[in-house]
Amino acid sequence: MTTFKDEGTRPADITSRPLMTVNIVAGAQQKLGAVPHGVRSFVPVTGGDFEGPRLRGKVLPGGGDWLLLRSDGVLELDLRITLETDDHALIYMTFQGLRHGPPDVIAAFSRAEVVDPARYYFRTVPRFETSADAYSFLNRIVTIGVGETRPPGAVHRIDEVL
Amino acid sequence: MMLQVFVAPPQRLGAVPHGTRIIAPITSGIFEGPRLRGKVLGGGDWLITRSDAVVELDLRITLETDDGALINMTSFGLRHGPPEVLAALGRGESVDPSKYYFRTAPRFETSAPSYAFLNRLIAVASGDRRATGPIYTINEVI
Repeated sequence: MTTFKDEGTRPADITSRPLMTVNIVAGAQQKLGAVPHGVRSFVPVTGGDFEGPRLRGKVLPGGGDWLLLRSDGVLELDLRITLETDDHALIYMTFQGLRHGPPDVIAAFSRAEVVDPARYYFRTVPRFETSADAYSFLNRIVTIGVGETRPPGAVHRIDEVL
Repeated sequence: MMLQVFVAPPQRLGAVPHGTRIIAPITSGIFEGPRLRGKVLGGGDWLITRSDAVVELDLRITLETDDGALINMTSFGLRHGPPEVLAALGRGESVDPSKYYFRTAPRFETSAPSYAFLNRLIAVASGDRRATGPIYTINEVI
């Protein structure tokens, strides 16, 4: 009963290539507690760095991650940070993401332990804004991130969706 | 899954502060994948063409599976390409989707237990903009 008509053009296959790895260093978590949508906390970002074939530099202090733990045990992430490239371009980076895993993994996170990333799902959708011509390609791409929780922050391997 | 939406004549608001705004009402559609299939009840795509000629898409639609579950789908995306390719699309011509960039990141919400896995995944999609509306190939990010 599928009636997709193929007039000779097909959606492009989805491929990707590495964009960069971002290491985020975070400060002490602010726990707001139970809000209407779930359990809210805020994690300030204090620094970090990033590296990829086309760009590298540091994560500026400021910004952070607004976390919401939902009733189904999934953690929603909402990050906003500023990056500064080694040639002094500023890039605004934001993502929404999800993290979830089995109860023993979540318990390990609460003890600030490092867990094998294959044991949990941590995926984000980063977007970027910059006025720097050399990096304007970032304004035009959709990207996907694979996250790893590494106290006191996280590491995100971000791929450009081609 | 594959998702095809059918768009009614768009509402062209013109120049708003962030760019040129177009609202595309979605009146119907179908979707089919290994784990779910059904029809699109409706919704729309809120488009803005930016000063750098990139179109930002903001899709919100309701899906109904063949077993009656309702799913809220939202999707942010970008579309851009060479001017002559975009002009051909604008004339309703059939264009090879590899000639332009049309990529989105869908998210889902449902209360139906058999589709709850959708609440926990990140997805990425490639769009093929047909004259009647886009066809999306949606992949789960595993």
